[in-house]
Amino acid sequence: MSSMDITSAPPEIARERKVSTRIWQQAFASVEFRIGLIVLTLLIAAALLYPQLSGIDPTKMNIKAKLTPPVFMGEGWTWAHPLGTDQLGRDMLVRALVGLRYSLLIGVSTTVLMLLVGALIGLFAGYFGGRIDTVLMRLTDAQLSIPMIILAITILGVSRPTIPSIILVLGLAGWPVYARVMRSTVMAERKKEYVRGAMVLGATDWRIMFTLLLPLVLPPMAFVAVLDIARMMIFESVLGFLGLGVQPPTPTFGNIISDGRKYLMNAWWIATMPGVFLVLVLTSINLMGASLERARNAIYGGA
Amino acid sequence: MFILRFLARRLFQGAIIVFLVSALIFTLLRVVPGDPVRLMAGGMAPEALIEQIATDMGLRDPIWQQFGRYMGGVMQGDLGQSFVRPANGAAVGGASFDDTTRSERAEVLTLIAETAPMTLQLALLAMVFALIIAVPIGVWGGLRPGGWPDRMALYLSSLFVSLPNFWLGIVLALILSVKLQLMPAIGYQGFAYTILPALVLAIEIAPFVIRTLTVSVAGVMRQNFIDIAGVRGLTRNQIVFRHALKNSSVPLLNLLGVQFSMLLGGVLVIEFIFDYPGLGLLTINAVMQRDFPLIQGIAIVTAAAFVLINIAVDLIATAIDPRLEY
Repeated sequence: MSSMDITSAPPEIARERKVSTRIWQQAFASVEFRIGLIVLTLLIAAALLYPQLSGIDPTKMNIKAKLTPPVFMGEGWTWAHPLGTDQLGRDMLVRALVGLRYSLLIGVSTTVLMLLVGALIGLFAGYFGGRIDTVLMRLTDAQLSIPMIILAITILGVSRPTIPSIILVLGLAGWPVYARVMRSTVMAERKKEYVRGAMVLGATDWRIMFTLLLPLVLPPMAFVAVLDIARMMIFESVLGFLGLGVQPPTPTFGNIISDGRKYLMNAWWIATMPGVFLVLVLTSINLMGASLERARNAIYGGA
Repeated sequence: MFILRFLARRLFQGAIIVFLVSALIFTLLRVVPGDPVRLMAGGMAPEALIEQIATDMGLRDPIWQQFGRYMGGVMQGDLGQSFVRPANGAAVGGASFDDTTRSERAEVLTLIAETAPMTLQLALLAMVFALIIAVPIGVWGGLRPGGWPDRMALYLSSLFVSLPNFWLGIVLALILSVKLQLMPAIGYQGFAYTILPALVLAIEIAPFVIRTLTVSVAGVMRQNFIDIAGVRGLTRNQIVFRHALKNSSVPLLNLLGVQFSMLLGGVLVIEFIFDYPGLGLLTINAVMQRDFPLIQGIAIVTAAAFVLINIAVDLIATAIDPRLEY
């Protein structure tokens, strides 16, 4: 069967697999990638284990212990609450770590969603060209010209925010960039020999798009998407801060900080401490993402 | 004429984009749940009255009819009236349903025109701060690719993008205005109130500037004419400032065009934390109050600004580097 030949034919795919491995290896060799990986692993482990192991309920109030400062940070601190407590006596460390779980969950799923949507739209636009391309790209331009956050708060502000709706809204707001990159890569690839060869051999458009082009073009885009996980986590926290994220009593970075802002004068730690966690996580993801991106650019030679 | 053809083409494309944005926001606002009339008339208003107001305002017509009417107005420069804001000033929110002043609601265009200069002031100051922070870091990093200034640029920009603007705003307000009392933070009573919000916005923009500069300066320094400039007897500083920076200005300009919407997103949150009376705060309040005409107006105006800025960026880039063609 001719279709069997097509899948084994292009040498590009074999080379591409190796490129992905080389990118990982080169990134892993850099100091910043390792530091990021270690810090991130520790924080994720803490977020998964500590709330269970300590047995502290992040929503349990304890008015007697309210507004306890973090350790070494003022009158009446205790090791029972290393990061102190909030205005209702809830443990800040557990709240921050549970917030981190939601932040990561939403950040990762949103990025995957927008990568897939963007890749599919870009694939169709780049492969078919012509009118489909024009329509899809105008749509992309239009969406790029509305600040994503206006779009997100408009939708979430008038409907009720839930975890799936937040993921959906952020994911749908973020795809245009991926669509553009995918489109231009696919346009360049489809002119190449192996794609034409597959066409001549009678492979369907569907087959060329999903078995030849997508596996080839998606991995390099996925490396860049690591940076977007951090961006989406920031967006999630901004939404929470504006009251449009996951709703209380579920703790998220955004709603903890928004609550804490009211007590800034007598309990500064409520608004600031969870943010330190968020910054640590984001910095490690960004360091890893940046070194992956550098490795990718070094191997692909710029662009 | 080349330039006229360019302008005509880009303005036409821009008009299509603005039209699509309007259609997108308009439809979105009408398909999501939440009745603005209920908010306008207040919770106590009888159901029949709400239906009557909604019908009078044309809110029960089919979406495409409403959209046609709205776009007709937009063509004539009429963005409609706010649902909730009175023309005479500050009072907002659900007025009582028998309020006689409801007829005098604020023009959307006026509301935007009043707040836009404040946001422009904030954005411009932020850009100045961002350049002050980013140019030394970025240029130095670009001059020593692979060396420690380059690493420093990478670490600093990774740190800066990891600082959520609302958190940074709170922390800086706590340190700079509560503890050290260096500058005011909340509200607006004079230019000094712009400094802190602009600083926060600048730190949000800086990593993008650093990255662009590192890459483009490193690229320029590899070129032949840089070596030749050395032979011509130009000092190192002259080479860096005349050649390297000038050639980096085009990518920097492009960055402004691409990141414009990110800039606006930052403005939104930062104005909200600092209670800074600009377009961003207006947007947030409009969303919270389901003020449809105001949200639509803001979306259209920002989309138009996006289009115009990108055209201007391309024109200026061609003026700086005549080799570019669009």
